[in-house]
Amino acid sequence: MAGAVAAAPAIRLGAVQKTFGGSADGVRALEGVSFEVPQGEFVSVLGPSGCGKSTLLRIIAGLITPDAGGAVEVMGRAQSAPSDEVGGVFQTHNLLPWLTVEKNIRLAADVRGLPAAEIERRLEDILPVLKLDAFRRLYPHQLSGGMRQRAALGQMLVLLPQLLLLDEPFGALDALTRDQLNVELLRLWQDMRKTVLLITHSIPEAIFLSDRVLVMSDRPGRIVDDVRIELPRPRNSQATKEDPAFGRYVVYLEKCMGVA
Amino acid sequence: MKWREIVEPAILFAVLAVFWEKGVALFGIKPYLLPPLSKVLETFWQGRGMLLQQSWITLGEIVGGFLWAVAGGLALGLAIFAWPFMRRTLYPVIVLFQGLPKVALAPIFVIWFGYGLASKVLMAFLFAFFPVVVGTLGGLAGTPEHLLEHFRAIRASATTTFVRLRIPSALPSIMDGCKTAMPLAVIGAIVGEFVGSENGLGHLILEANANARTDLMFAALFAISILAGLLYVLVELAAKRVWWRAL
Repeated sequence: MAGAVAAAPAIRLGAVQKTFGGSADGVRALEGVSFEVPQGEFVSVLGPSGCGKSTLLRIIAGLITPDAGGAVEVMGRAQSAPSDEVGGVFQTHNLLPWLTVEKNIRLAADVRGLPAAEIERRLEDILPVLKLDAFRRLYPHQLSGGMRQRAALGQMLVLLPQLLLLDEPFGALDALTRDQLNVELLRLWQDMRKTVLLITHSIPEAIFLSDRVLVMSDRPGRIVDDVRIELPRPRNSQATKEDPAFGRYVVYLEKCMGVA
Repeated sequence: MKWREIVEPAILFAVLAVFWEKGVALFGIKPYLLPPLSKVLETFWQGRGMLLQQSWITLGEIVGGFLWAVAGGLALGLAIFAWPFMRRTLYPVIVLFQGLPKVALAPIFVIWFGYGLASKVLMAFLFAFFPVVVGTLGGLAGTPEHLLEHFRAIRASATTTFVRLRIPSALPSIMDGCKTAMPLAVIGAIVGEFVGSENGLGHLILEANANARTDLMFAALFAISILAGLLYVLVELAAKRVWWRAL
């Protein structure tokens, strides 16, 4: 990758605005959202439900167009349509029920027309990392919720995106599975050093995983705070959460979000 | 429990059979109104060669009409879904046509296409195609939004999205349409035979009726229901291969 491109931030948003419906009587989902995420950083966006977090993510993914006037750049290039550099995992997984785990994971690569040998190679990389080796021939309905979300991660990773957009990927899972998957996600990120933008409404989750937490306001969504999380890495579930600083971040962010 | 699936309906059939056999005697019903079951079974067995022959003819009409209904229903559903012009023009026509008593069309078809196979196949088709259209349309329109978004995210072409997402996610609904269509094709073929034919099970019923052979009418009815049952099971087996439901 050329030096200039590598130095560009993974995400740069400038005064991004989004109104649904007409501009006069429409609903404003986002208002003047500006931030940058350097490459390799793990950033969480924290906000109440319905504050436009998912809209924000879809704009960055190039799936919806923001109102005119704002700037959206990914890896130094204006983002106006989906690209292979960005991969997303959303709350409802995108597994096709009629395909096995393996075929689901290779789907995007098949569709993009990658050479078969290359797809095989990527598959053999991804399956063990996500602990899906033994389940590759199962169908989504035969998997547990946690395994399904792991397969959804694999669906995204097969295109080797530089920027991962995660919209509460484990939001529908039970707390225990969710914690486990968060630890795995962290390990994955530490190995791959890709940029992650995670959307969540869980304060501990955001602190545990992130380098930075962006706090969004209620609709219309705006970034109201940008908190750097200075907890040492590598983090692990127990030591990190026992760190007194962890508790202080929780208290601070709860205040930010108006939790009494 | 596998055995219950066989034993329980068998018991029901046995009870109904006994009720029929004994009831006819008990209430003194005249055989030309309702012959005892044993007489019907006897006629069925004696006429088995002829019944098989007639069934074969009717089977051809049903299967022909059903296959046309599936092919035509799929084609119409696809066209209406993919082409807004068709939705505005063809779809209302089909829906209006659906309200017509198709039985009334049968005599016209006999005039147009004669007493042979063609008019029966056409009747079976007309009775059966509409559920396939509805199943195809509903299935194609019901592709989950988040999966469509996913295909946009991986930059799949419209064709790829259609072949790899819309069609497979529509298949369960299309299969439901085919399951509804199968018995309708049976009805269509028999109606066609009633109105004008030289052979087939429907024709046999009319002939037996003219000769006051109530036992033979019932034997022919048995043959029809066995035929219809077997065909439905076949379609259901095919439908079982499409086991998924889009999530």
